[in-house]
Amino acid sequence: MHGVKRVQYSKEALEAKRQRDQAKLKEYLALTHDILSRKKNNDMCREAFELTTRLLRVNPEFYTVWNYRRQILEIDMIPKSSAADTNDLLAEDLNLTTALLKQHPKVYWIWNHRRWCLEHVPNGPTEEDSNGWRMANWNKELFVVEKMLEADARNFHAWNYRRYVLGTMPVRRSELSELAYTSRKIEANFSNFSAWHQRSKVLTALWESNTVDPVKSKEEEFDLVKNAMYTDPGDQSVWIYHRWLVGDGGEAALLKREINTIQELLNEQPDSKWCMESLVHYKRLLLQKHTTSFQPGEQVNLVESCIGLLQELGALDPARRQRYKESSEHITRLST
Amino acid sequence: MSTDLELHIPLHVKYIQSLGKSKDDLMYHLTAHLRMNAIYWGLTALCIMKHKDALSREEMIEFVMSCWDDEAGAFGAHPDHDAHIHSTLSAIQILCVQDAMDRLDVDRITKFILSLQKPSGVFAGDKYGEVDSRFSYIAVNALALLGRLHELDTEKTVDYIRRCKNFDGGFGAVIGAESHAAQVFVCTAALAILDRLDVIDQDTLAWWLAERQLPSGGLNGRPEKLEDVCYSFWVLSALSILKKVSWIDADKLMQFIISAQDPDNGGIADRPGNQADVFHTQFGVAGLSLLGYPGLDDLDPVFCMPASVIEARGLKKGWQALPRQPTL
Ligand SMILES: [Zn+2]
Repeated sequence: MHGVKRVQYSKEALEAKRQRDQAKLKEYLALTHDILSRKKNNDMCREAFELTTRLLRVNPEFYTVWNYRRQILEIDMIPKSSAADTNDLLAEDLNLTTALLKQHPKVYWIWNHRRWCLEHVPNGPTEEDSNGWRMANWNKELFVVEKMLEADARNFHAWNYRRYVLGTMPVRRSELSELAYTSRKIEANFSNFSAWHQRSKVLTALWESNTVDPVKSKEEEFDLVKNAMYTDPGDQSVWIYHRWLVGDGGEAALLKREINTIQELLNEQPDSKWCMESLVHYKRLLLQKHTTSFQPGEQVNLVESCIGLLQELGALDPARRQRYKESSEHITRLST
Repeated sequence: MSTDLELHIPLHVKYIQSLGKSKDDLMYHLTAHLRMNAIYWGLTALCIMKHKDALSREEMIEFVMSCWDDEAGAFGAHPDHDAHIHSTLSAIQILCVQDAMDRLDVDRITKFILSLQKPSGVFAGDKYGEVDSRFSYIAVNALALLGRLHELDTEKTVDYIRRCKNFDGGFGAVIGAESHAAQVFVCTAALAILDRLDVIDQDTLAWWLAERQLPSGGLNGRPEKLEDVCYSFWVLSALSILKKVSWIDADKLMQFIISAQDPDNGGIADRPGNQADVFHTQFGVAGLSLLGYPGLDDLDPVFCMPASVIEARGLKKGWQALPRQPTL
């Protein structure tokens, strides 16, 4: 149970609620009993199907009833229907789950059933246009999932489902439109790490396929991130994404440039934890990977600056002081 | 003992006992699909609070056996509910803690679990095919408890988990999914059981996990989200497996969990002031155990079961919780 306020009811109020619930409870138990005994008897009739609708509207987490519903569809209703009727049946089930998701956006079983419906969309409407129904359904799914992400931009069920839908489109969409989608989500809220995460996946694909120029695109990302850092230096989403963008620190020039950028921001925001934390991270990468290119004195300077920053971090963010202490020890070892 | 840090053990025991007695309550029936899990959560919390006997062993074993789905060869969450890998693991865990593993048809359950592995290496929850790295962990945990891990295609299983890994060191539910503390727990624990912690970027992951702690002391499950008691367990168990519990502020987390107790009716909620439930009660108590809260029994963070039970079966891995404090 999440996010339900605790209310201290009086004995009388509890008793009254219990009384009120009795009728509902009786009806619910009778319906459950009816459905489970029909299921046991392999009853595949339309009436049983309608009963599952009734029950799932009350309790969409009852996975056994979803299973039974799919059995009826698979064994009885779909084989007896034309392709067009099957498509309509599945559309009805998708509508049912859309309505349920509005109330229960985080119930795994509802999302699963949607997926199952999609996977059963038949070929059609014609032999020439055998992907037509699928295209229509998949496009509608993207629309629904976008609505869900408007209601809660961090709902991971919706993001996972979105990736599933995009990955199984009958005609694949360009990754560029997904990149544009993450831009919109990030512009709406820089803290939306789910969108940054998605962006890291989409860009990886775009760079690998050379759909966009990796060098130019990376520079645009650095601009975007810099903008976000300056907007709210305390937001960890942006810093985590920056870490991905910089990568494993193979390029000394890039590390140095980003260190300078962050240092400038730190000068403006002298108590920014994430500036300090990131400076230590990138300076440590320099120390680990680029000692051979160092000027005299550079190594000592880097080590001293890291140790100073880590001391400040320990005071500023005492919850994680043990980690800062261990980092300090590690960096000291790097210099000897 | 300072009263504002006191875990109200007698109240929580009473609360857990009361859960099975509310059969005229609508909510009780609306959550029937979670009954097997709820019993496992309640039993584990009771064991950690040293009150294992507060629920009847015989009744519990009979209930578990009444959930056997003979067609599938595994357990459902409730009598007449379909078999699912999650309720099957809970059933095995309950019988293991109650020392009644001889009631299990190990061959059939092993067959059921192995039948759910997909070519990619991930596991489905049931024959309807939802896949999730949670189910990979559940399969690995269950097979280990059954002594049948040698029948698992370890390489394939590990390979899928590896592909769920993200640049932030965390793991998602499926390939491409965002890192989430609960998925980090299941993937880390599965890799621990399979002796494959080398797959993890340990420093990066421990950094990401440590950054889950918020100023309230509570932990969130993803960047820029709210804290929640159940993450005490997901994050802490993973940190214990990585031997990095010291990277967060244990005292503040303890205070946060304690403040989410219902001081009148028992139970622990997701957050202070909210309605308690058995899920958060279990994960709150489990978190406190890993933090060394005095008077509790040790919890094994890999299997999420009493440490003594796992040790007795020779399954203990090299995790490290905080030392048990003699008093507060
Ligand atoms: Zn929770």
